[in-house]
Amino acid sequence: MPPIAQYVFNGIVTGGILALPTVAFSLLWWLLRFPNFAVSTYLTVGAYAALALNAGARAPLEAAWLGALLATGGVALAVDRIAFRPMRDRRPFSLAIASIGVAFVLENVVRFVWGNDFRAYDVPVTRAASVAGLRIGHEQLLILGVTVALMALAQAFLLHTRLGVAMRATADNPLLSAVKGVPTNHVIAVATFGGGALAGGAGVFLGLDASIDPLMGGGIIISVFAAAILGGIGSAPGAFAGALIVGIVEETGTLIVPPTYKTAIGFVIILAVLLVRPSGLAGSRS
Amino acid sequence: MIAYLTAILTLVGVRALLTLGLNVQWGLTGLVNLGAIAFFAVGAYTSALLAVGGVSLLLAWPAGVALAAAAGAALAIVALRLREDYLAIVTLGFAEVLRLFLLNEAWLTRGANGVTAIPRPLHAWFPGQYHLFYLILVLAALGLVYAALERVRRSPFGRVLRAIREDEVVAAVAGKPVFRFKVQAFALGAGVAGLAGVLFAHYLAYVEPNMFLPQESLYVWLALILGGSGNNRGALLGSLVLLGLLEGSRFAKDVIPFLTGVRLAAAQQILVGVVLVVMMIRRPEGLLPETPGSK
Repeated sequence: MPPIAQYVFNGIVTGGILALPTVAFSLLWWLLRFPNFAVSTYLTVGAYAALALNAGARAPLEAAWLGALLATGGVALAVDRIAFRPMRDRRPFSLAIASIGVAFVLENVVRFVWGNDFRAYDVPVTRAASVAGLRIGHEQLLILGVTVALMALAQAFLLHTRLGVAMRATADNPLLSAVKGVPTNHVIAVATFGGGALAGGAGVFLGLDASIDPLMGGGIIISVFAAAILGGIGSAPGAFAGALIVGIVEETGTLIVPPTYKTAIGFVIILAVLLVRPSGLAGSRS
Repeated sequence: MIAYLTAILTLVGVRALLTLGLNVQWGLTGLVNLGAIAFFAVGAYTSALLAVGGVSLLLAWPAGVALAAAAGAALAIVALRLREDYLAIVTLGFAEVLRLFLLNEAWLTRGANGVTAIPRPLHAWFPGQYHLFYLILVLAALGLVYAALERVRRSPFGRVLRAIREDEVVAAVAGKPVFRFKVQAFALGAGVAGLAGVLFAHYLAYVEPNMFLPQESLYVWLALILGGSGNNRGALLGSLVLLGLLEGSRFAKDVIPFLTGVRLAAAQQILVGVVLVVMMIRRPEGLLPETPGSK
């Protein structure tokens, strides 16, 4: 049996993959005031977009990954235009229900085109390196590196660009920021595209780390919720920390409970955070 | 064709009961529950396991309903203080964890194999006509529950529930113990869902965990939103229309040749998702809107 450190390392990689959709989900929830259940399905969309480019059009995976970012961002933008924009002023739960409908449609469009089979990218098989008794895959390091870079980029965008500041202002007080001349729809469009792109990119990582099938995104939805709630809605660093913790707890938790109960671990985290500290790690907003 | 219609109508009846249960929670009281299928499953499994273990159906059926209601009350006590967007996530998670429990705890639930040979009530009494008898049984249960819930809706209790839905602060200021009413409403709805589960299990004589996937809760929502939440007639109509959608699209494969197997199932679910989104945008009050001030 591999040492505990191996489980922790795998948990960090899982957490890294979770971090991207978690940031997207958390920031969109903060900005638009409803939990968008379709975000985890954007992973599936991204994974299959890359599959079409990689296995279909023979593009190298790096190019396919970039293509998946753009394609998923575009899908998210279209979804927002068609489904969410006409409902902007409704209560959060109505939008949440609509987003479940959207998730259902996207997942089944993928199933309609590609079927239910498990698939994999056309990439050279590399041997996992052994460092201090740990098995560390080339792809795992790549995933972690790119994730950390993207997280830093997202945080820098929010803190230091005009648009990022406008986004935070709109999330904090949509009415006031609109009065002050912040172009609300533009801000929402940028956040939606960015969130979709991050989730789509994570989908390619998930496909590399595990496999590609229509349920892959829906399968991690509870983990994403858990990470976002743990991190505190609206905080990018909180989402990153939440995702790493959820990833590590889920992986090491399988030492105690059967792996089939992974989802239940995420659920317990959600309940515990909501009952004890609903504002999450990052704290102030809720 | 008669056999097909009987079977379909029985399942519509079961679905309509489940929708009536959600209508108590969401339609009447405004309580979010994305895990409606969980209470259906609790009812189905409780009654099925007891009956297979030799317990009389006269005890097993009420036990299924009671345990479903108790599970509803327990979840409500823990979760109903949460904001509704959190509640959506918690109820969805609850249903998924329950399904994992059914799948993994084989010592109790028989795991992925499911529970087989669930006894059917009065099976020997109606040789050859059993499905017709069961349809009448389900419709009778549906009629009774419908009548009872109509009474509830018009009763002082029902008025408080609607007051809570419209503005719980006002209801609290008026001296109503809001939380207790919410827990009662949630438990009542869960009990009705449990009854639907009981009838389902003993009709099919077989249950397994993957009958209770999260998407089933979505179907219940679609039925409720289609028909019109807040009124029980809407819940009935929605269940019927949903059936039309699902069964009707099944015949599409006779018309469109390349639409088979996985693709047909996917197309059907795309249709369900699209209808849900369109209804939410265009007609959130449903086909039969709740008439304001109706008693």
